[in-house]
Amino acid sequence: MSQGPALLKRLRCFGLARRARYAFRHSGEWGLRGLSLGFSVCVLGSTFLPCLNACADETNRRSLEIFEKHVRPALVDHCIRCHGPDKQQGGLRLDTADGWAEGGDSGAAITPGDQESLLLKAIGYDDVALEMPPRGKLPDKTIAAFSEWVKTGAADPRKSMIGSNASGDSSAGQSESNRDSKSSSVGRDFWSFQPVRAPAVPIAGEQWAQSDIDHFVFSRLQEQGLTPNPDVNRFVWLRRLYFDLTGLPPSPEEIEAFVGDESPVACETLVDRLLDSKHFGERWGRNWLDVVRFAESSGGGRTLLFPDAWRFRDYVIDSFNRDLPYDQFLTQQIAGDLLECEDADQRVRNLTATAFLLLGPINYEMQDKDILEMDIVDEQLDTIGKAFMGMTIGCARCHDHKFDPIPTRDYYAMAGIFKSTRSVIHSNVSKWNTTPLPRSAAEQADYEQHQQSLAKLEDELKLAKMAWTEAGGKPQSDVSGLRAVDPARVNGIVVDDSMAEIVGDWTESTHTAGYLGERYIHDASEDRGAKRVIFRPAVPQAGRYQVLVSYSASANRSKKVPVKIEHADGHDVVRVNQKRRPSIGGLFESLGDFDFEQGPAQIEISNRGTTDGVVIADAVVFVPAGQELAGLMQQTAERMQSEDELARIKEFDDEVKRLETKLKMMRKSVPKQPALMATVDAAATTDIHVAIRGQAHLKGDLVPRGVLGAASWGSFPALSKGTSGRKELAQWISHPQHPLTARVMVNRIWYWLMGRGLVSTVDNFGSMGSLPSHPELLDHLASQFVQQDWSIKRLIREIVLSRTYRMDSKSTPDAVAIDPENRWYWRMNRKRLPAEAIRDSLLSIAGDLDLTYGGSNIKAGTSIEYGYQFTSTRRSVYVPVFRNHLPEVFEVFDFADPNTQSGSRTASAVASQSLWMMNHPNVIARTEQAARQLLDRSLTSDEERIRFAHLQVLSRPPTERELTVATSLIVPKDAQEDSSSAASVQRYAMLYRVLFQCLAFRYLD
Amino acid sequence: MNLMPSRRKALQSIGCGFGMLAASALAQREARAAKPANPLAAKLPPFAARAKRVIFVFMQGGPSQVDTFDYKAKLRQLDGEMQTFDDARVLAKTKEIKQHRVFESPWKFKRYGECGQYVSELFPHIAEHVDDLCFLKGMHTDGVAHGPATLFLHTGSINLVRPSVGSWVLYGLGTENDNLPGFVTLQPSMGNGGPRNYNNAFLPAIYQGTAVGRAGTPATSAQIRNLRNELVTQQDQLKQFQALREFNAAQLADRPGDQELEAVINSYELAWRMQKSVPDILDLAGEPEHIQRMYGIGNQATEDFGRQCLMARRLCEAGVRYVQVNYSDNGNNPRWDQHSNLEKHADHALATDQPVAGLLADLKQRGLLEDTLVWWGGEFGRTPYAQANGTGRDHNPYGFTMFLAGGGVKSGFSYGETDEFGHHAITGKVHMHDWHATLLHLMGIDHEELTFMHDGRPFRLTDVHGEIVREILA
Repeated sequence: MSQGPALLKRLRCFGLARRARYAFRHSGEWGLRGLSLGFSVCVLGSTFLPCLNACADETNRRSLEIFEKHVRPALVDHCIRCHGPDKQQGGLRLDTADGWAEGGDSGAAITPGDQESLLLKAIGYDDVALEMPPRGKLPDKTIAAFSEWVKTGAADPRKSMIGSNASGDSSAGQSESNRDSKSSSVGRDFWSFQPVRAPAVPIAGEQWAQSDIDHFVFSRLQEQGLTPNPDVNRFVWLRRLYFDLTGLPPSPEEIEAFVGDESPVACETLVDRLLDSKHFGERWGRNWLDVVRFAESSGGGRTLLFPDAWRFRDYVIDSFNRDLPYDQFLTQQIAGDLLECEDADQRVRNLTATAFLLLGPINYEMQDKDILEMDIVDEQLDTIGKAFMGMTIGCARCHDHKFDPIPTRDYYAMAGIFKSTRSVIHSNVSKWNTTPLPRSAAEQADYEQHQQSLAKLEDELKLAKMAWTEAGGKPQSDVSGLRAVDPARVNGIVVDDSMAEIVGDWTESTHTAGYLGERYIHDASEDRGAKRVIFRPAVPQAGRYQVLVSYSASANRSKKVPVKIEHADGHDVVRVNQKRRPSIGGLFESLGDFDFEQGPAQIEISNRGTTDGVVIADAVVFVPAGQELAGLMQQTAERMQSEDELARIKEFDDEVKRLETKLKMMRKSVPKQPALMATVDAAATTDIHVAIRGQAHLKGDLVPRGVLGAASWGSFPALSKGTSGRKELAQWISHPQHPLTARVMVNRIWYWLMGRGLVSTVDNFGSMGSLPSHPELLDHLASQFVQQDWSIKRLIREIVLSRTYRMDSKSTPDAVAIDPENRWYWRMNRKRLPAEAIRDSLLSIAGDLDLTYGGSNIKAGTSIEYGYQFTSTRRSVYVPVFRNHLPEVFEVFDFADPNTQSGSRTASAVASQSLWMMNHPNVIARTEQAARQLLDRSLTSDEERIRFAHLQVLSRPPTERELTVATSLIVPKDAQEDSSSAASVQRYAMLYRVLFQCLAFRYLD
Repeated sequence: MNLMPSRRKALQSIGCGFGMLAASALAQREARAAKPANPLAAKLPPFAARAKRVIFVFMQGGPSQVDTFDYKAKLRQLDGEMQTFDDARVLAKTKEIKQHRVFESPWKFKRYGECGQYVSELFPHIAEHVDDLCFLKGMHTDGVAHGPATLFLHTGSINLVRPSVGSWVLYGLGTENDNLPGFVTLQPSMGNGGPRNYNNAFLPAIYQGTAVGRAGTPATSAQIRNLRNELVTQQDQLKQFQALREFNAAQLADRPGDQELEAVINSYELAWRMQKSVPDILDLAGEPEHIQRMYGIGNQATEDFGRQCLMARRLCEAGVRYVQVNYSDNGNNPRWDQHSNLEKHADHALATDQPVAGLLADLKQRGLLEDTLVWWGGEFGRTPYAQANGTGRDHNPYGFTMFLAGGGVKSGFSYGETDEFGHHAITGKVHMHDWHATLLHLMGIDHEELTFMHDGRPFRLTDVHGEIVREILA
């Protein structure tokens, strides 16, 4: 609640205080009415903003309010498609105030104050010749709003974008003065935008404290009249530590060894051992995977598998185990592909890291690809904002952030960076970008050798074919049904795409049959107008030639692919319909006859103006005019005469076929190069326009690429041409001076260990988040983190060895009376055991846990997540995370929802958890397995066995009461009860289930 | 208006679960009822509700409005002619408007009931109930493809992760039966968003929909997961549960009054009771034969969906707040999705007509229809013209039909119209957001006031949209 005054103060600055007070008070409560008022500030706040600077006058204010609430949405939904930037039916634009004032062919559309305005007549359907919108009359309510708006002066903040001072749509880009007053100067005062300072360690609690952390904590406790809880016993501390650092239970042997260890540095030794264990990265990597919404499928409507996402997961695990400095860790995730690197391994890690940007829940099926692209950018910004900076940047997509100093311009400044990054490859259902996995030196040598052998074989084949043709071999006259046609079989001057000059980013493909040579290339429907392929056939002697192009036809192609022919008399552009099957032999389409000089001619296929589909470039063929391609083929056929000759041809033919088969096999055996999910900078990098109200098709101001103004200390570096700015963005976020980055991360680490963040909203350091309970401690940790080379392990070590971490979690009435929520850490927070630890413990205690480190874990041959059977016994961190289909144990025990970024987990108590624990066949099977193994141990009494089982599951011996209950469950009551070994297994399995179900297992005390 | 217990404020601040609830509850030294707070406890709606519960009959894939309830004479007149239509998919992809072949319905229409509502020969049984139905013929929605539109229907968003309608209703009203989940979806599809269509998203987990069975498996095997245990004897299960009670009681004694721990204990007690009560409710054997026949049980074509509909009635009767019945499969092109071979609509109509009519009749004869809202519909409609000059119809989010019955809507009523072809809704337009708003209104909840704090701001089912369709309120 204490963020209240600060928020109010800032909101008062722009006249929203009254509404904001409601917003604030009620957003903290469940009263429905209150919440809706809070909501209305978020939704409608923009209503009041534009009028604050210039026009205090009430009528204008009212007019603007109507405009924002009713008129603008109606214009966007019903009018601007035909009267906007793209089309101006009747010469009229309704996307700016100037547009309607100037009007169209029929004159001004609106005269402020005039109820006879043309636009009102049109929407009122007063005149049959002028009924707008044509599809149907607007609701009466909207028409009334238009009328009222015109009456009150038709206030419209949308300035013309054509003029010199283009400011676009003001709900998106606020006017200058307003933006300043709201966004930067006011917001910068907020605590989280202040530079991190290293405060002095308080002198307090000398008797108790063992580290700087303890001094900070004790000093606050003292102020509040609280005293720290006593230390926990070694059993509890050990269990805490094992699960917190490795996610696995300590074995009974490890427990006994530690409890009996009398060394003064027993704790330090153990902490260091666990930090060095590979399991540390598996546990902490998973923490990070929550933060970055890691998943192995795209989710949503038509979910697609991410078959290579596991590489990112392994990269994260590995980075924690190496203790990769956090500044590098985040830089690699944002801009790994743009970083210098020392060796191939480093390059692989850097590229792999950028999968961070591509792992979002994206609806690749969306049909409007412009919107899809902006949705991807939005998801990336949202994740970066929350994960690294605790900022909800996403709000600013449609309007200036209502609570934090993030104007829409900042959003689009950052969005430009990601719009300049290639993240997606389009088709009906689009796909994320991939890049071939760089080869190691040995793999590269292997590959080159293979390529050489291939080239040699190709030469052999060429010779064999020449011999065959000379002997009178007959080229096929129709290639229908053939996948690829060898250029050597075509009589004419052939230039394949592999010999052409390629401008822009073309994708190689062999997907659709019917092409010349080894492949064709396509433009992926991207960068229209920027991609060209130039073929230069060598014309042997001046004359008239027929020009033919080949392409593999398909329904998704463009119908108007421009082919430009430079000939002796100038140039011509012929449009080719690549949807239609080529008319000559199913392979070639003739473009006509042209005169050429001797020497290289020039034919250019481009994707200019091809908005209707994919453009294919495959091959260009010149044939002397008058000779048809088919005719040429026939000529060779007629040359065939005698039986002898035919037999001879067959010999050559057999040889060609043999070599072709061999070549085919060899091509198949090319050493595989797996794909990586990774980004690259786009072919065209560019600043982008503000999208008005977040609508991709409504352009506002063009905004230079940059970062959040409120968290900047200098200007964003000028970007060199052709770079997206991602590297610069990453450098800005990871800069030691950045006020948020280190604070957000140390707070996360604190949360993961202490169960509650110093800022309790770990993903929100904005004004709607909570204020830090211990701002000095937070800054102390943050500054130390940066000084210690952003080492995560060092920070963890310091926290877990503190006295604060060692406190008992039990409540005492006196302390509860003062600090019920344990805001001041007078006790340790009890933590819920996460889903992964529940599953790993079950497997581990049954002796079934497979501890293989790293590597893919999706079953081979899986093409869709639905119906996937989760049978793996590897650690939970390696279990595939599908967005629409999680293993049941994850689903019921509050595993992080991979559909949203979230650095904290919920802790629910629902019946499905209990049903799982009581009845799931895996629980039954694992506990029976554990029981069998227990009975095989050289333990001599039931009491020993009960004690051992307790150590395994609860990491402590049984209490008196537990021992009594357990004994009555285990020991046959009389001779009538079955005392066979099978019955014993059943009884111990029951005990194990009780242990897994009981409260003491579910929590880390 | 103070609908929610104030303790819940803790839930919305972080974690959204019992953890915080308990932490802060422990804190409140205020006198408190002996029973731990139950967020699922039935709540009175803020204003008079017309309906207490919902049965949503989901026709997945997009049934065609012009072949079912939205009769268009024009299609017959112009059948086979090329006309210009702004096809939603073509427009999204190419931004062009093209010509398409007008395609008349292969099925005959007739007027039924006192209201004279047109129904095609696909639905002879439902046709008998038109005087109890309220048609929305001016529906329109967002999303041209199945995934986006299906998610939009269920959550009000085509892409962002949002709670399902049923979760919002449960969050607003709680449940009336402590032994059953409050939001049940019968045999849901795993495709087109799958579990996201009944997910709680950022609402606390207790509000998530519980799947009973799944699409593609017979209704006879539909059950809540992990409800049965055939691996351990009944006797041992009881012994184990008693031992657990003792363990938990002992451990709780160490931390008296800890509400978070009590919540876990309660979840075990509920699970234990559910093991007994749920199978009884889903077991149809006790239903008299004439009732089973009403639903088409015993007839191969209607057996499966008939069972679902009957289970839905039994769940509602037992106090489940929101039941979804799914006519679904798991494909990317779900059942009603006739891009070609429109004739297959007849199979789907056959499989669902009698069961739905049986449900309506049964609810009515039990007096349940008064306060149960029945909602029938798909994620969008279909085009009145042939797709690619072929034998089927493409998706049409611009105009389609849904129908309602019971729970406070007018009966024998039809609201809204599409254009002369049945392509665009033109009058009485109801956007899916509007319908969501109206549904909540019928349940006694103001859609603008049912909000949840998440990510630093309040969220609602209808985002910033939604107008209540007052014209259909009885």
